Amino acid sequence: MRGVLPSFYRGLLLLACVSMLSTLGVIVLGIVARIAAWDIPGLDGYAGYSIAAALFLALPETFQHGDHIRVTLVLQRLSPRVRHAFELGGLAVGLGLATALAFYACRLVWVSLLTHDVSPSADATPLWIPQLAMALGCIGFALAFADALLCTWRRREFFVQGAETARVE
Amino acid sequence: MDLWIAGLLILALFVVLGSGLWIGLALLGVALGAMELFTQRPVGDSMALTIWGSTSSWTLTALPLFLWMGEILFRSKLSADMFKGLAPWLDRLPGRLLHTNVIGCTIFAAVSGSSAATCATIGKITLPELKKRGYPDEIAIGTLAGAGTLGLLIPPSIIMIVYGVAANVSIAKLFIAGVIPGLLLALLFMGYIVVWALLNPGKVPPAGARISFMEKVQASRHLIPVVSLIALVLGSIYSGVATATESAALGVVGSLLLARIEGSLDWGTFKAGMVAACHTYCMIGLILAGAAFLTLAMGFIGLPRHLAEFIGGLNLSPFMLILGLTAFFIVLGCFLDGISMVVLTMAVLLPTVQKAGFDLVWFGIFIVLVVEMAQITPPVGFNLFVLQSLTRREMTWLARTAFPLFLLMLVAVLATYFFPQVVLWLPGLMQ
Repeated sequence: MRGVLPSFYRGLLLLACVSMLSTLGVIVLGIVARIAAWDIPGLDGYAGYSIAAALFLALPETFQHGDHIRVTLVLQRLSPRVRHAFELGGLAVGLGLATALAFYACRLVWVSLLTHDVSPSADATPLWIPQLAMALGCIGFALAFADALLCTWRRREFFVQGAETARVE
Repeated sequence: MDLWIAGLLILALFVVLGSGLWIGLALLGVALGAMELFTQRPVGDSMALTIWGSTSSWTLTALPLFLWMGEILFRSKLSADMFKGLAPWLDRLPGRLLHTNVIGCTIFAAVSGSSAATCATIGKITLPELKKRGYPDEIAIGTLAGAGTLGLLIPPSIIMIVYGVAANVSIAKLFIAGVIPGLLLALLFMGYIVVWALLNPGKVPPAGARISFMEKVQASRHLIPVVSLIALVLGSIYSGVATATESAALGVVGSLLLARIEGSLDWGTFKAGMVAACHTYCMIGLILAGAAFLTLAMGFIGLPRHLAEFIGGLNLSPFMLILGLTAFFIVLGCFLDGISMVVLTMAVLLPTVQKAGFDLVWFGIFIVLVVEMAQITPPVGFNLFVLQSLTRREMTWLARTAFPLFLLMLVAVLATYFFPQVVLWLPGLMQ
C-alpha cells in the first residue's frame, strides 16, 4: 500500500507543474490579446484557478520533500526520545488539520455544485470545476500526513533526505 | 476582555509555532480554534471559502512566476557572465572585487523577487572567485549576506507582492518606491567595503593586470543579457505594456529564452527549475492560505480594531511608534521568516498604522527593510540558511560577519523615516 503513495504525490506534483505552465500560458495570452485587441473574456479568472491548482496539487510532494517550513528551534534542543514524541504529536495535529481542510474543501465543491455557483467575473465558470483541484490536493495532503505519522511511528524515514532546501523569499 | 482574547491568541500562536507544527497549518489551527471559541459562524465552511478566495486570485500569480524566474536564472550562466562584466570595472576601487557582491546583488535583484535566490545565485559565483583570489572569508561572506537582501527591496519583490495584496496597495507603486532606498542601501554597503578596505589595507589582495578602458567596455558585453531582462520586466510595467502581475510572466519567458540562447537550458534544468518553483510556491502558498483565514478570524473577533484603539490611546509619537515596531519586528524576525511575519502582523497592525497617519506605500518599504534585517538574524534567517549551504559555516559565525550590514540597514530604516521623500518621490511621479 505504502508503495503507491509516493507515486501518487509525484503524480499530483506533475499536475501542479502543468497548472503552473498553463498559468504562464494564460497570462502571456492575455498580454498578446490586449496588444492585438482580441477579446478573450475571463482570462484573469483562469489564471487564478490554475495557480490555485498549482498550489494545492503540490502540497503532498512538497511536504514529503521537507519544504514546508516550521520552527525547529525547540525541537533541536530536545533529547531524541522527547523529540520523537513531539514529532508524532505534531504529525497527529497536522493530520487532524489537514483532514479538516480536505473535508471542507470537498464540501466546498459539493456546495458549489448544488448551488450552481458560478464565477462572478467574465469567465462565468461553474466554480466546482476549479475547486476540484483544491479538494484533490488537500486529500493528498491529509494522506501524506497519515503516511508520515505511520512511518514515524514505525521509526521509518518519511521525508526525503538531503534534499536541496527551497530558496524562499 | 478583548485584551485577554488577544493575549490568549498570541500565546496560543507562539506555543503552536514553537512546538514545531508546520507554520501554515499552525495559523489554520489557531484560527479554527479562535473562531470556534469566540464566534458563532460556520467555521469549516468559512475556512474553505476564504482559502479558496485568497489562493485563486489573479494578483497572486505574480508570486509563483517570479519564483520560477529566479529558479531558471539560478540554473543559468547569468551570474557568471555578470561577474565577468563587472570585475574589470571594480578592480581599482578600495575593496576591489568585494564590490562584485554588492553590485552583482543589486543588478540581480532587479530581475529577482527573492533575497535568498539573489544570495544563492550571486554567491555561487562570487564566493569561489573571491576565495581563489585571496579575499578574507568573513568580509566576502558578510557583504554577500547583506547585499543578498537587496533582492527584496529592489523590484520585483515577492514580499512587496505579499504586502500589496494584504494591505491593498498598488504593487507597481510599491515596486518603484523600493528603487531609491535599494540603491541607497547598496551605496551604504559599498561605503562599508571602502572603509573596511582603507582600515585593513593588508587584507585586500592586489589588483589584477591593468587593462585598458576599451577592454573594460568590451568585457561589459557580458552584462547585456541581464540588462535586457531588467528592461523587459521593469520596462514592461512602467511603459504600460504589462501590469506588475503580467511582467512576471514576461520575465519567465525572457529568462527561458536567455537560458536557451546561452545553452544552459535543457530538459533537465527546465524540469528542476519548475519543480523547485512549485515547491517554494506551495510552501509560501500554504502560509498565505493559513494567514488569510487567521486574518478573517481576527477580523470577526475585532482584534485589529481594538489594538488600533489601544495603541492610539497610548498617544505615542509617530517616531516612538516606528521605533517600537522596528524593535518588535527585529525580535520577531529572529524566529519567523519574512512572509509569515508580514502576513501575521499586517492583519492586526494596518488599522493602527493608518490611524497613526503613515502612508501605506511608505510603510510597505519600512516593512521590507525590517524583513531584510530578519533575513540575516539568527537563528531563523533565510539568507543565513542559504549561506550555510553554500559555505558549510556555523550559523553564529555567519551572523557575526553580517552584523555590520545589519546595522547599516538600521541606518537605512531611520533615513527613510526622517526623509520619507526617499521612498515617496518616485511613486508620487506616477499618476
